[in-house]
Amino acid sequence: MNARPTVALFPEASFGAALNCVGIAQELRNRGARPVFICHPGFNGVFAEYGFMEYHLTPPETPGEPTTEARWTDFLNTHLPNFNLSPAEQLETYVGPTWEAIVDTAIGAEDSLRSVLAQIRPDAILLDNVIMFPAIAEAGCPWVRVVSCAETEIPDRGVPPYLSGLDPADTEACDAFRKASRAATAHAHRRYNDFRRKCGLGPLPDDIFLENSDDLNLLLAPSAVRYEREMPLDPERFTYLEGCVRTESPFEMPYFPDGEGPVVYVSFGSLGALDTDLFQRLIDAFADFPARFIVNVGSYLESYDRVPDNVHLGDWFPQPSVVAQVDLFIHHGGNNSFCEALYHGVPSLVMPYCWDGHDNAQRAARTGTGRWVNRATWTPEALRQAIRSALDDTAMQGRLDAISARMKRHPGTEAAADAVMDMLRRRSARSRGEGAYHKAV
Amino acid sequence: MTGTRRASYQSHLDLARQIVGVVFERGLRSGDHLPEKVFSDACNVSRTPIRSAFKLLESRDILEWRQEQGYFLSVDTPDAINKALSELEGVEGALPDKILADRADRRLGDIQSVSALARRYSTSRSAVLFALKVLAREGVVTQLPGRAWAFQPMIDSPKALSESFELRLLMEPLALSSPGFALDGKKAAVVRNQIEDFLRLGDAAATGARFRRADIDFHILVAECSANRFVRSSLLAHHRLRQASKKEGTIPAYRMQKSMEEHLEILDSLDRKQHDLAADLMVVHLRRSSVRRPEAANRGISPLLRGQAL
Repeated sequence: MNARPTVALFPEASFGAALNCVGIAQELRNRGARPVFICHPGFNGVFAEYGFMEYHLTPPETPGEPTTEARWTDFLNTHLPNFNLSPAEQLETYVGPTWEAIVDTAIGAEDSLRSVLAQIRPDAILLDNVIMFPAIAEAGCPWVRVVSCAETEIPDRGVPPYLSGLDPADTEACDAFRKASRAATAHAHRRYNDFRRKCGLGPLPDDIFLENSDDLNLLLAPSAVRYEREMPLDPERFTYLEGCVRTESPFEMPYFPDGEGPVVYVSFGSLGALDTDLFQRLIDAFADFPARFIVNVGSYLESYDRVPDNVHLGDWFPQPSVVAQVDLFIHHGGNNSFCEALYHGVPSLVMPYCWDGHDNAQRAARTGTGRWVNRATWTPEALRQAIRSALDDTAMQGRLDAISARMKRHPGTEAAADAVMDMLRRRSARSRGEGAYHKAV
Repeated sequence: MTGTRRASYQSHLDLARQIVGVVFERGLRSGDHLPEKVFSDACNVSRTPIRSAFKLLESRDILEWRQEQGYFLSVDTPDAINKALSELEGVEGALPDKILADRADRRLGDIQSVSALARRYSTSRSAVLFALKVLAREGVVTQLPGRAWAFQPMIDSPKALSESFELRLLMEPLALSSPGFALDGKKAAVVRNQIEDFLRLGDAAATGARFRRADIDFHILVAECSANRFVRSSLLAHHRLRQASKKEGTIPAYRMQKSMEEHLEILDSLDRKQHDLAADLMVVHLRRSSVRRPEAANRGISPLLRGQAL
């Protein structure tokens, strides 16, 4: 093995994957590797701030295309109402169109990705995404699949269908959802398989956009919320991480003019922050609740006025450091958020709006590690009641304390880095062995 | 309260929070002794500021002073200590500070009347009027025709932050390269010590608040030493606004450290009287500091970055 192997981390353009990869990269660096990042446009500079070298993908030339800001305005107008729909209803309205856009992204990135990989010449690639890029399969080095979404991303009869928010025991509903999902993604899937064929890669089965790696696959799913699979994953190729919580800058508790009671942290991710009306309703509901609320409103701070004295708004928080200090975490079911809550033994109130948020909301409720609040139908009183009951639930707190202790014994970032380094060592030993074999014959 | 007094109080308060952090970290219990030397080493500051911070903690009954023995911990539950610390921030006192803090936290709307503020802070109209005049001198509020007062823009949106960097990119190098720039050696030594203290801190103590203070003090020093009076006054007013806005976000530990090293490099150039080089280094420093995270990201769509990236 190269004494200082170069590991190229390629997270998709989302904060969850990006920050998850930062945690793994920090530990790879501690183990003597040279982690570098491949960045989608828009994320330039984000990884450099953590001290990592960046290689930037160039967006394809698309003259006459609307600006990014115009595309986001269009996205919001189209999809904000969809976020109040059920997972099944979202298949046609949100999931299908999103897969079309993901396929476009993969096609658009291919040339630039090939050129960046030729420049880096990595010893291994970590792909934290939901779709395969042919350039990675053909890079001539092992690649690692990182499943930073919920475990449902890798299908099995014992696991509910991806993005469904269903309980696996409800087999009839699960089967109906699987069928509807295949139909909703069929067009995008055909386009994607055509693209793969053109690039010399074989097609994938229906509903699958990313194959498992032959070398190593990392799943964040902590044991406390893991499913029992009908076909267990091969431990030689699949490593469960017990979450993947990164180290962040320390957080100082802000001053609340009206500062009494437990501390509740609220964050719906960068996408959730766009829904300023929802946040305003939440803030109004918090005003007369005897607790202190730290609310991540993203880049829309200027949209809020007359913030109650028990509420503190911010545009960015070192989330893992915040979660470590709070009594309750209200989030959207993003897998990083859910894992951070479990890691620090904090109950979750999950208000999902799309993607695997539904799966995590179901799992939090089913495993007694949180409660599922419906985004479309909640009322201020029902929300306050849910907060109260989560804060008072000593049995749930007991479970979470035990989960937290277990997760902290085996931090996912360290397990991921160890697994990658082991994989590189195995590959290296194997190629040395093959070399010796070839010499002998 | 003058800006300097305010900064000094804030600095003691920050150190007090840091001391409390060390108390938690080491699992100290009520009745345990807090030796000055131990805390001076842990917080990387001399004993004098530790003594001032201990006094502040004593004023809220977190510590107890025993004649000829020193300071002892009076309470040990995190809630009790945090509550007492929060109260300390609340008694920070002066009305202009409270108004400014509440505005930065979006608790006050754009337009305010004297009577509404008097009700909120349970104080007299004349006290409010005085506070507003103090803030008006700092350019934070303006009196409108009639009895209303309007807050001026703060640095509380991506666009405002971009504009702030744009202004600083023009003016801070100019402050350094204008003829007559004279580094105040005494103040520079204090700022240098502050930066070096920060760089010696462990990860748990290198907080965003402490970084912001060292950062602003460095940039204020640059402004104060400029011979161009208009550049100086504009930059000082802008740095006060940055200080009040407190919304420049948390940045990763690595970048905080690099930023401090860049400050030192600029100070080194100034010590060697290489003002043009210092101005160039300032451009690099500000460009590196102005990297923005995407405002929104989602699968299948380029991340959102509103306004002009620098």
